[in-house]
Amino acid sequence: MKKQHHHELEYIPDGDSDGIDRRGFLKCMAWAGTGVFWMMTGGVLKSYGMSQMIDKTTGQLKKGLVLPTTDFSFVQISDSHIGFNKAANPDVLGTLQATIDKINNLPSAPSFVLHTGDLSHLAQAEEFDTLEQSLKSVKTEKIFYVPGEHDVTDNGKLYLERYGKGTNGDGWYSFDSNGVHFIGLVNVTNHVDGGLGYLGPDQIKWLEKDLKPLSSSTPIVVFAHIPMWAIYPQWGWGTEDSAQALLLLKRFGSVSVLNGHIHQTIQKVEGNITFHTATSTAFPQPAPGGAPFPGPMKVPEEKLRSLLGLTSVNYQEHNHSLAITDMPLIKSE
Amino acid sequence: MIMGIAATSPRPPVTKYTNLKVLPKDISSKELMGIMVDDFQDGLGVTCNFCHANAKDGHGLDFASDAKPEKEVARNMMRMTLGINKKYFKIKHPVIGNGALDVTCGTCHKGHAFPGGD
Repeated sequence: MKKQHHHELEYIPDGDSDGIDRRGFLKCMAWAGTGVFWMMTGGVLKSYGMSQMIDKTTGQLKKGLVLPTTDFSFVQISDSHIGFNKAANPDVLGTLQATIDKINNLPSAPSFVLHTGDLSHLAQAEEFDTLEQSLKSVKTEKIFYVPGEHDVTDNGKLYLERYGKGTNGDGWYSFDSNGVHFIGLVNVTNHVDGGLGYLGPDQIKWLEKDLKPLSSSTPIVVFAHIPMWAIYPQWGWGTEDSAQALLLLKRFGSVSVLNGHIHQTIQKVEGNITFHTATSTAFPQPAPGGAPFPGPMKVPEEKLRSLLGLTSVNYQEHNHSLAITDMPLIKSE
Repeated sequence: MIMGIAATSPRPPVTKYTNLKVLPKDISSKELMGIMVDDFQDGLGVTCNFCHANAKDGHGLDFASDAKPEKEVARNMMRMTLGINKKYFKIKHPVIGNGALDVTCGTCHKGHAFPGGD
């Protein structure tokens, strides 16, 4: 047991000079721990926080909720950090499993799952093995990955051995599903100052070529680890050369950009592009600028799961409707 | 349709590090990555390229290279940290990354690359 925690943010009940008051802290916590359920209808992507949908006592869809008809659906999960064992969450496997349970309790199985990176904490073989073993129980046809910076601390060697088959460069690729073009980008392998993400000229060139044959009416979903818009560059929460990629996407009518990395949900709409960041399945981080520095946020052990939104706490359920929810669930008469 | 397909592969051979001067030469990958991520990255609020130079081939980082002066500063900081723990806290065999240390990177850095102001 370490004498000192590795610089994790401490939970300070009554506020303190670090700027994290109780309200702000709980707000942060409400963002953590579950996946995002995405439904595509007529080229329009809509998202739902899974904590909102599943009744914590029955494990089934909440009574009275009816999901709209949809063309197909998929789930995004992110930042599992398998191998992390510090005070912010010593049981990241348990919280991942709770997320998997929620996926498996969705009214219809998602067509596939996107994992937007930081599968592992230290890019170790056993961490990738453990994640893979857990995700085998997800009821879906396929799981797609992009790496986070924690997955490539060996320059991506192990990650690419496992997940790089059929991909390009450092692991970028695209695929089509139900008329939607999905693009997995890698913005964690090459580094720029300040910890910002970076795509690099090779990948941007590939993207241009990949998009070229598509008609402008094709719905596009881009997914990558580090946010592709400047959420908080002071903490490295942005991608230095994302503007070049976004320029290539400008001609398309419907573009959704899905990211992880910041362990909380933030949404922004800019012209034809909707940006979303997903929660972590492992631990929360402070809101942008809401603490002196980013990093795992520690809470009392007995409160972690409830605050992650996996079991109870009305507060959390009521406050889950952050930017994550594009539209409310439809309530039956 | 191109997909990233997860597949279990044989365990990689033990990584040989070629330019370790403070950390143990036989350190495991897990121990080394733990120090880099938990002590340096979180403790100083930096990412790998703060100390490590970009690889000449343009792919990732050249971890063995000493091209960036920050890397040597990091070594000196580790020597200082070990010295403080040994001299003032009477820890017989201090090791960076070991939870038994009284003084760590985060003690002074507190999430910032330069304690006391960037």
